[in-house]
Amino acid sequence: MFHQKKITSVIQQVSLRVTPCQTPRNSVSEKSTAWLMLRLGGFFLFLLLVGCSEKKDSNAPKKMAIIISTLNNPWFVFLADNAAAKAKELGYETKIFDSQNNTALESDHFENALVSGYSAVLFNPTDAEGSVVNVRKAKAAGVPVFCMDREINATDAATSQILSDSYSGCVELAKLFVQQTNKKGTYVELLGLVGDNNTWARSQGFHSVVDNYPSLKMVAQQSADFDRNKAMDVMESILQANPNIDAVFCGNDAMAMGAYQALAAAGKASKVKVFGFDGADDVVSAIKDGKIVATGMQFPKVMAQTAAIYADEYLKGKREFAQKLPVAVELVTKKNIENYAAFGKKEQ
Amino acid sequence: MEKKNNKTSVWLKYGIGSVVLLLLAYNSVYFRKLDEVKAEASGKFDAAAFAKTFLEKQLTPKLATAPDIDELTTLLSTDKNKAFDTYSHATAIGNIRYFLVKGQGTITKINENDLTIQTPKQQLTLAMEFIYGNALRDASGEFDITKFTKTADINNVSSELNKLIRASVVFPFRPKAKVGDTVQFAGAIALNKEHLNLAEIEVVPASLK
Repeated sequence: MFHQKKITSVIQQVSLRVTPCQTPRNSVSEKSTAWLMLRLGGFFLFLLLVGCSEKKDSNAPKKMAIIISTLNNPWFVFLADNAAAKAKELGYETKIFDSQNNTALESDHFENALVSGYSAVLFNPTDAEGSVVNVRKAKAAGVPVFCMDREINATDAATSQILSDSYSGCVELAKLFVQQTNKKGTYVELLGLVGDNNTWARSQGFHSVVDNYPSLKMVAQQSADFDRNKAMDVMESILQANPNIDAVFCGNDAMAMGAYQALAAAGKASKVKVFGFDGADDVVSAIKDGKIVATGMQFPKVMAQTAAIYADEYLKGKREFAQKLPVAVELVTKKNIENYAAFGKKEQ
Repeated sequence: MEKKNNKTSVWLKYGIGSVVLLLLAYNSVYFRKLDEVKAEASGKFDAAAFAKTFLEKQLTPKLATAPDIDELTTLLSTDKNKAFDTYSHATAIGNIRYFLVKGQGTITKINENDLTIQTPKQQLTLAMEFIYGNALRDASGEFDITKFTKTADINNVSSELNKLIRASVVFPFRPKAKVGDTVQFAGAIALNKEHLNLAEIEVVPASLK
């Protein structure tokens, strides 16, 4: 497609140059002969370029594009690197694109990937809704897309979506939450990005358990955008209105650390139980130190590798894939923390 | 002769016409359950109805074929991979796998959230309070995730199945349970293949007697 664009551009240039020289159709002149020669030349140039491009494509190794929501977060860098490593191992050239949490930039990356001849896209979407159009564009161009970690709000666009089982992970966290609070008290919930489906899958999993205990009362539910600093600010504000909370449930580990910092600054860290989700490095350490009660360990390496394997299988002819494939999330507490490291198991 | 031929062609014509009409009539009339049609019309997956059918037609019949808990844990101790390969199932990929189990034991302790049971070979707990998660949905291996496109539908099946078990199995049993009683149980357990812990087995019951 990239070459076709170039060819179109060449032909357009040729046409523009000859336009002033055009004469009436019925008049045969030297100018019109020159024009005809130029067009024929353009046609032969077109054939030459097509020939060259086809020869080049048949020899070149297939390529996988890895388009990631943001590389500012080490978790996503880990996801991208593992996807690239697995794709390379399977014999593909790879390139990682950083969407910087911007759907417009993500759209540009898709355009680039499609015109540059990538065979598949391993994709971590920026926005569940806003990213759908990009996946559809790739599908229309015959390029399969495999979502990693984050899902899109469409079930007929991506070939498969390999996602952390956030809902079930938070069900397990909620069971522990209920036990740790003895089924009573007040708590705060910090939500992630409201436009991200993971935010709601985690919240719904948590509430599917906790809401069965009427003596557990949620005094505040606020978004902190999965961001540590924002979580600290939000938690400080909440503590002013609700100084006697018993627990905080956070939609990711960055927010859990931010909430913990605010609680520590208010002298309440030892009284309030904080729960996170992700399996980030600092939370793994904080669980060891007894600062954070628990987290849901995700496995970005498993998701990334599965996406690359699926893409390879697709390109080799397989067509039957589960639209949504969950990856189990494991409950990590002080009791089993020795089994885990950041982003997954120690042996990974 | 010509008259006979005409008669035959008329009969042939009417015969073919009748067969076509019968075929059309057969393919034009069919019967479907009203709730199926309603669910389709609303475009909404009925997780409660699905869970009820799944419990009755897929999970419950499988309970009889579940391995005995003592035999399973013996196999897990001696040949972990064989035990997981033969008996475990999961919808999600990863290390958490689910097993259907059955067994018999004596209630040795009644706790706030569970019952402690002593089987001939080991001690385990029967969940009475926290009937949540995917154990019951996945353990039978009968749940086919490829038939679902929405994550919410997949999750709601577990949620509704757990509700049914709480209401029909656990709530009637729990108030009557006493220390010293013998209980026959069948249900599901979750185990981490990578970090196997057989000391703290919790059975989520699907049947209690």
